[in-house]
Amino acid sequence: MDPNKPTSSNEPTLRDHVYDGIQEYDQKLPNWWLFTLYIAIVWFVLNWVFYYQLGFGSSDTAVIDQAMAEMQVARDKQMETITDKKLWEMSRDPAVLAAGKATFMTPGMCVTCHGTELNGMLAGAKLPGLPLDDQQWKYGGTPTEIFKIVRKGSPDITKGMAAWEIVLGVKKVSEVVAYVLSHHHEGEPITKAPDSPPAGGAAVAPAAPATSTTPASPVK
Amino acid sequence: MTSTSATKVPIEFNDKVVRQFMLASIIFGVVAMLAGVFIASQLNFHQLNLAEWLTFGRLRPLHTNAAIFAFVGNMMFAGVYYSTQRLCKCRMGNDTLSNIHFWGWQLIIVAAAITLPLGLSRGKEYAELIWPINIAVAVIWVVFAVNFFLTLHKRNEPSLYVALWFYIATIITVAMLYIVNHLSIPTSWTHSYGIFGGVQDGLVQWWYGHNAVAFFLTTPILGIMYYFLPKAAERPVYSYRLSIVHFWSLVFLYIWAGPHHLLNTALPKWLQLLGMFFSLMLWAPSWGGMLNGLLTLRGAWDKLRTDPVIKFFIAAVTFYGMATFEGPLLSIRAVNSLSHYSDWTIGHVHSGALGWNGFMAAGLFYWLAPRLWNTRLYSVPMANFHFWIGTFGILLYVVAMWISGIMQGLMLNQVTADGLAMKNTFLDTLQAIRPLMGLRVIGGGMFLLGWIVMCINLWKTIRSGTPYNEVREIAVLQRGTADTMGMKETFINDPLTYTVGGLLLVFGWIFLPPGADIASLICACIFGYMAVRRFQQTSKSWAFWYEKLLHNYLPFTVLTFVAVVIGGLIQIIPTVTVNSAKNVEDRIQKLYEPLELAGRDIYVSEGCYNCHSQMIRTLVPDVMRYGDYSRLGESIYDHPFQWGSKRTGPDLAREGGARPDSWHYEHMMDPRSMSPQSNMPPYAHLKEKPFDQKTLPKKIAVLRQLGVPYPPMDATEIKMKALEAGVKIAEEFKKSNIVVRPDCELVAIIAYLQKLGQFDPVEEILSKNGQGIPFPLSPVIPDEARSAAVTH
Repeated sequence: MDPNKPTSSNEPTLRDHVYDGIQEYDQKLPNWWLFTLYIAIVWFVLNWVFYYQLGFGSSDTAVIDQAMAEMQVARDKQMETITDKKLWEMSRDPAVLAAGKATFMTPGMCVTCHGTELNGMLAGAKLPGLPLDDQQWKYGGTPTEIFKIVRKGSPDITKGMAAWEIVLGVKKVSEVVAYVLSHHHEGEPITKAPDSPPAGGAAVAPAAPATSTTPASPVK
Repeated sequence: MTSTSATKVPIEFNDKVVRQFMLASIIFGVVAMLAGVFIASQLNFHQLNLAEWLTFGRLRPLHTNAAIFAFVGNMMFAGVYYSTQRLCKCRMGNDTLSNIHFWGWQLIIVAAAITLPLGLSRGKEYAELIWPINIAVAVIWVVFAVNFFLTLHKRNEPSLYVALWFYIATIITVAMLYIVNHLSIPTSWTHSYGIFGGVQDGLVQWWYGHNAVAFFLTTPILGIMYYFLPKAAERPVYSYRLSIVHFWSLVFLYIWAGPHHLLNTALPKWLQLLGMFFSLMLWAPSWGGMLNGLLTLRGAWDKLRTDPVIKFFIAAVTFYGMATFEGPLLSIRAVNSLSHYSDWTIGHVHSGALGWNGFMAAGLFYWLAPRLWNTRLYSVPMANFHFWIGTFGILLYVVAMWISGIMQGLMLNQVTADGLAMKNTFLDTLQAIRPLMGLRVIGGGMFLLGWIVMCINLWKTIRSGTPYNEVREIAVLQRGTADTMGMKETFINDPLTYTVGGLLLVFGWIFLPPGADIASLICACIFGYMAVRRFQQTSKSWAFWYEKLLHNYLPFTVLTFVAVVIGGLIQIIPTVTVNSAKNVEDRIQKLYEPLELAGRDIYVSEGCYNCHSQMIRTLVPDVMRYGDYSRLGESIYDHPFQWGSKRTGPDLAREGGARPDSWHYEHMMDPRSMSPQSNMPPYAHLKEKPFDQKTLPKKIAVLRQLGVPYPPMDATEIKMKALEAGVKIAEEFKKSNIVVRPDCELVAIIAYLQKLGQFDPVEEILSKNGQGIPFPLSPVIPDEARSAAVTH
């Protein structure tokens, strides 16, 4: 902050004082150096005045709120196209199935808990996920119900499946669901698990009944 | 200026303590670098997390603390003790104090090396050591300060050389930073809670953390540069005026830059902006030091070919210039949104730590060893080999980290074609940077190899000589020729009046309400113009005053303290003194239940914060990946705050409820079972140990004291609550064929993880909220009247 400007000549002169043999030139400051300091100060002042004090530009959170709102609109629009019929159709499309399978089998994704055979087993041991190759569906077995649980996770996520929409997006979720559906037939019977949440499964189940001993026991 | 009639007396310098500090620095340098290479390898080979006390989370603090306090600390003391005695023309203040300083510091290091791997940690970066060691550090630092100022007091050289200015700034500022950031209330002999929580803790921590870099790793080393570089080059210092301007602007500006570690977080906007702009303004002052180093070599560049000492010094100063250019760049909020939490920051730190500190240390030791043992350097070719392998090592390290940081940052921000989901999982990005983390190990290993070659070279040098204490005939300074400046002369003068007046107007501009702020800015500009005019007319008297100040160490110290204290006061006081209700935005976190609190302390002690942040920034990719951005209130009761500074793993701010308990169980037992190719250490040992029930009541009592609104509970109630919660989780696990004891640490940490991100809307809780730390004035918070700071 010291506006120390050079006084006179350009010739560097040595200062009289010698410190343990060390001398110093009494030399003016390099102009380019001074200018970097001045420019940084001016930049500070301008930014503070215009951005912060006068409010030009938007706040960080306004930017986020707007971006998220736009995404929600686009997501809702994508959702409109998803129906049971559409998902069954997708389950017969080889290109969709290939994409869905690739996502499913990616290490750390669906395969980690549901197994390569979709039976929730790995080498005879039970994995955390429920089997997806039987006709028992804890949270509902229509294509849109399956679609919802992949997107949003189980009603109480700490006791069940995680939400995948953030990670995968609507498109990939629909492909994965189509892949799962390809292990089933349209119109096959759907049974609920003994510990299924009551009606619709939308309401948050406080805690699953603690007595289940069926193969489709609560998610590990 | 020294009186010619003065009597000359022989004075023997205390070079023994210099030798001791130098050897300690060399040895601890090896330790710190070995630890660094080892933990860097752990990032690629998780198998190297050999035991619970050798996990990355526990060893990383050991590495950073060893590098800062053991390696650079001892190097600094060696340089300071050597040069101060010569610049003051007298022996160090007191031999006993020198001894206490040396042995006390080494004991502290040993204590740190034992406690950190045991998981005894305060959970704040570079401030991990537990409270009894904190007290020891403060005491030893005061011993150092007393010893140093005693030396100044009895000096036989009236005027203070620029190196001493930097030492003075170092000693007073580190004392201030260290003490404030370590204020804690103990809950046991090995555990304490810091008095600040949440945003207050974040702000104080990075005020400390950043200025540990500034005043522990930079200013003392600049002082060392100012003494040893001209000595080695045998050339005059480039510019005395540059020394003045860059010293005062550096110490004044540096303190303000701390918040640049918290950009785009929930930190109030005005603090973020101050942190960013003061970092940018800091660029020139930092380069002032580099210029005075590099340009001192004018006329002696040929020595660069022949003298290894000069090679190391010049490369070090160049790395300093590189790091201090990169620093302001990384402080720009837009750049920081990409670089923060990534390896880029790691690279930046190491171009400073290896390039600047490591090479300054090497240059210093090659210069000192022959003089302290009265011999010649054993091998110049070996020193040259050290130089080249070290340089290439640093470059490889830094370039790998640039690429890694930028690549991972970009990958984490990539979205799918429809723009509605993230393209890469966190694990994808980790796989992408694995080869670069490998290169980092090689680069660091090369640097370490060079260091070991130096050890051999210096060992041979030392063996060829004998310890030598320099004795000089010194003219005793007559009383009354220095240290005569009074209060009035110190404070009432043109330079100070104009500086203080200008600063007051600038602060008015920052803090006054809209309208008055701009008026204050205009006044500041007019006042600045007047100051320049006045300076042009009376520059001689300004220069004379400064010359006189240099003859008076106490006034100089007082003014330095004023310069360094201002930034901290202005940034921290408004945040810690207001009713903390003002600090919460629209949400306030739910209190940790006893079991969750026990889990949190395990999280802190295992050093999880070294790899996981708990702060979703106000950035679209962060919000898409991790959920709604974090509010201040969501960590307001966190002692210590755990916002983190690096994401080797994903953010955990909203981890609670995102996955099943059983997922966490499997993941803790073997992270690879749930997250293939993860590099996280396994935490199976948590399953065997019961969590600490005994101190829980005391912990909760201390937190209540600190303003966390726990209801009154007696000790039995607290323990029962913790156990019952544990039993509930263990019972639930049984259904998944998982058998755990309900009182194990694993259950506690899972309970904590599942709590992360739970909050109450703020309207309901405001009345229950505690007060801020009492303060007579009610400070102004600039954000209250600015639209750029609106958060919801």
